[in-house]
Amino acid sequence: MAEIDAAGRSTREINSAIRRLIAESSKEITVRNPGARHNLAVAILEDVHVRLAGSVGYYCGGLIDGASIDIEGSAGWGVAESMLSGTVRVHGSVGSGAAAAIRGGTVVVHGDAAARLGVSMKGGTVLVAGNCGYMAGFMAQKGRLIVCGNAGEAFADSMYATICYVGGKIANLGIDAVVAPMDSSEAQQLEKTLSCYLPPSLRRAKPAAADFKKVVAGRKLWNFDKRDWRIWQEAL
Amino acid sequence: MCGIVGYLNKVGTEQRTIGSILLAMLNALACRGPDSAGVALFGEHPPHQFVAQVKLGDNGDGRERAGEIRTIVEKFGAREFTQTGAYLRFVFPETDDLTTFIARVEAAGKDVEVVSVGRRLEIVKQVGSPAHLEETFRISGFHGQHGIGHTRLSTESVVDLSHSQPFWSHGFPDLAIVHNGHITNYHQRRRRYEQRGVRFYTENDSEIVAVFLAEKLRQGADLSTALESAIAELDGSFSCLVATEQALGFVKDSFSLKPLVFAETDGFVAVATEEIAIRSAIPGDFAVAEAQAGEMRVWRR
Amino acid sequence: MSELQKSGIFAPKVIEEIQAKAESGLYSIRGFGTLRERRWPTFDDLTFLPCSLTRIPLEGYREKCSTKTVLGTRFARKPIQLDIPVMITGMSWGALSYNAKVALAKGAAAAGSSNTTGDGGMLPAERENSRTLIYEVLPSRYGINIHHMRMADAIELTIGQGAKPGTGGLLLGSKVSDRIAEQRDLPTGVDQRSPARHPDFLGPDDMIIKVEELREATDWQVPIFIKLGATRVYDDVKLAAKAGADVIVVDGMEGGTGASPAIFQEHTGLPTLAAVSEARSALEDIGVYGEVQLIIAGGIRDGADAAKAIALGADACYIGTAALIALNCNKPIYEDDYHAIGAAPHACHHCHTGRCPVGITTQDPDLMKRLDVEQGAERVRNLLQVMTAEIQMLARACGKSDVHHLEPEDMAALTLEASAICGIPLVGTRKVFRH
Repeated sequence: MAEIDAAGRSTREINSAIRRLIAESSKEITVRNPGARHNLAVAILEDVHVRLAGSVGYYCGGLIDGASIDIEGSAGWGVAESMLSGTVRVHGSVGSGAAAAIRGGTVVVHGDAAARLGVSMKGGTVLVAGNCGYMAGFMAQKGRLIVCGNAGEAFADSMYATICYVGGKIANLGIDAVVAPMDSSEAQQLEKTLSCYLPPSLRRAKPAAADFKKVVAGRKLWNFDKRDWRIWQEAL
Repeated sequence: MCGIVGYLNKVGTEQRTIGSILLAMLNALACRGPDSAGVALFGEHPPHQFVAQVKLGDNGDGRERAGEIRTIVEKFGAREFTQTGAYLRFVFPETDDLTTFIARVEAAGKDVEVVSVGRRLEIVKQVGSPAHLEETFRISGFHGQHGIGHTRLSTESVVDLSHSQPFWSHGFPDLAIVHNGHITNYHQRRRRYEQRGVRFYTENDSEIVAVFLAEKLRQGADLSTALESAIAELDGSFSCLVATEQALGFVKDSFSLKPLVFAETDGFVAVATEEIAIRSAIPGDFAVAEAQAGEMRVWRR
Repeated sequence: MSELQKSGIFAPKVIEEIQAKAESGLYSIRGFGTLRERRWPTFDDLTFLPCSLTRIPLEGYREKCSTKTVLGTRFARKPIQLDIPVMITGMSWGALSYNAKVALAKGAAAAGSSNTTGDGGMLPAERENSRTLIYEVLPSRYGINIHHMRMADAIELTIGQGAKPGTGGLLLGSKVSDRIAEQRDLPTGVDQRSPARHPDFLGPDDMIIKVEELREATDWQVPIFIKLGATRVYDDVKLAAKAGADVIVVDGMEGGTGASPAIFQEHTGLPTLAAVSEARSALEDIGVYGEVQLIIAGGIRDGADAAKAIALGADACYIGTAALIALNCNKPIYEDDYHAIGAAPHACHHCHTGRCPVGITTQDPDLMKRLDVEQGAERVRNLLQVMTAEIQMLARACGKSDVHHLEPEDMAALTLEASAICGIPLVGTRKVFRH
């Protein structure tokens, strides 16, 4: 296993070192002392595992396609932003905009998420074991957003086709968000995800899948009210 | 837009100076605030005494101006004068009539400004980096229990000393703020305050946070209530830190538009725009988390 | 007998609009850009002062006037090199048809210029057919793809657009076809509203970190542009420069749009003329003018507009609407189809309907067929070449062997306002009217 000591080094140097190791066929890379620097491990397109032994700043794991990233501390804003595929796991908490605009892959957070969890997400799965803050799922388009704890205000506001699940309380629902029934096969799917991605001790501390609330878009914002063609032509 | 930092030592004994901790935190945020840097530090001083930091002017080395001001404030019992950078520092007996004091000092010149007054508060700020601030003022040598600091990326107002942060709530001893964001109902509120005789020193919207909190405290609110009012009454984006003689607090706008993270242990509280500021300054195995939308907290010594 | 008196304030069009709102409870959405009669200073308020006795003009054709344009010299390892200073701006596949996007790419390439993706991501055909391709990163992040980013020659981080600053994009359901929906990860047929803000940074301080991320993701090779809708241009340009932009794009209020609320198109933003002046002042005041390149956009119609923008301080211009017009937008053909959507040639701003009679702003395959890609590409190339020739002619007349040598001092202002805005003398007075 290859190791990089990030102490005293710039983001650019650290990322270069990561890329060099990948080019030399390392599959397991550990970065020590990341010190909450920004932009670590961005745009990794290879099937490698990068472990950050500490906290990271903004955009860790952003723009990746296929990599697996483990963040042992907390993460700042935009963790895994625009990911195409891969897995990003944060053992601590995450800042705002976690999993912003992801198009696939999985983001797992053992701690809590701040505001705008999964904002603009276009696919993939976001799973937070703890609570999430204000406006989670804002303008989310596809994929699944799962919060085992409590959801903050304006949950799932202005969504398209993303499906949300909340294990705890929802402070209030966002615009056009509605609670929908979940059948047993869907609950089974949810259970599979929870068991697959959460370590057993963490899974045990969270509700049963069937006790999660399912939240989807009410679809009232999906189309402007069209009456007839004459009005539609100016879309008044 | 900017970087803000704050630190409060809970245990009383000092392993490192408050100045050096805040300096390390500010250095980590210099990139997001390249224009100016400043700190508001709360030290230990003899009782019944104010310490003042006065900006001598915008040009030149200010020696002549320092002499003029010295003459003025000696009438208030001021002594222990030191001139550093653009500042004249001195102490003087506590007074209830800070308004007259400030007016007399600032009458010495258009660009003279009383930057801070307090039993414990001292603000030093200037154009340039945190490293430059340290070079000029040796803030790493400052002893105290808590303080806040700021690195500035100016948005709509000029880059100069007076427009830098932290802002003192002029006339209200020992109250200082730092602000990251932009108050979007600034002009409207400012005009209302001005109609009631409040003087603004800059065109920087952050200044209104200092004015707002001072007004609330003057009206009898405690700091927590004042911060709650800020969430309701100030519009736009803000993560703010406020420091008083005994307390350190933060407030975040209700849309969580600007970042703010904090850590608390038995030994300290640290708050900053980015975790890197906390990690760069304070070793140890503790968690850091982002504050929530519309959240407010106050810690007292 | 004279005509009956109509109100200037409650003009017939206004009466119609108020009554439509009263009936439907909805606000007006349309395409194109501001339609208001021009009553503010534009490039038309400036005139060039070619050489006469005091200076020597260059001969047309024989005495070379260089149009080569390099963008991104500040930090990027590989700045982009263009043959001409006129480029195609970002317009989305979605707002535009596939044929339109490909025609623009080919036409720009043939003219030695660049193309830009748009609010929907990169089409493989765009990369194949573009000589230089700029990849737009917008608040919506539709189609965001690291692989496409790495195929691009520059990255444009878009904060806003001149036609509708401070707001997100809009693509009405009739244009969210299966293909577009798939590209954008949306359900087919929704009226897509995109966000006004980026999802992972809010403010210029956080943007500094975002710019670094884009550089890290592209190994610091390609230029990073920051694109701004013209509002507080002076402040914004300084911030974009401080955030590390190689190139700053300022898009004025006369810019186009495929669909957005009319209220934004008419009542927001600074005119492009004012925006150039503020942008240049900002860069000069922080000492990076010349180090950071400036692209100006927003209603550039011909080589005169472009030359004036360059003279005022731009390194290059984007065209959008003009390029679409070259592709036959508003051309008097298929006139019945214009009438069917309530428009007419020269009076069509109905891009939002998806029923574009000439196949540009539609997803309907039958309508799109009317836009032949090769012919379209040829027309775009022609326009770009003619605009370049026009810039060269003006530059030569002013004694310049390089279009980038045009200066504010090569012009005079025809109106008091233009003089005040641009810091250029008012004709006949030799005085600048600016306090």
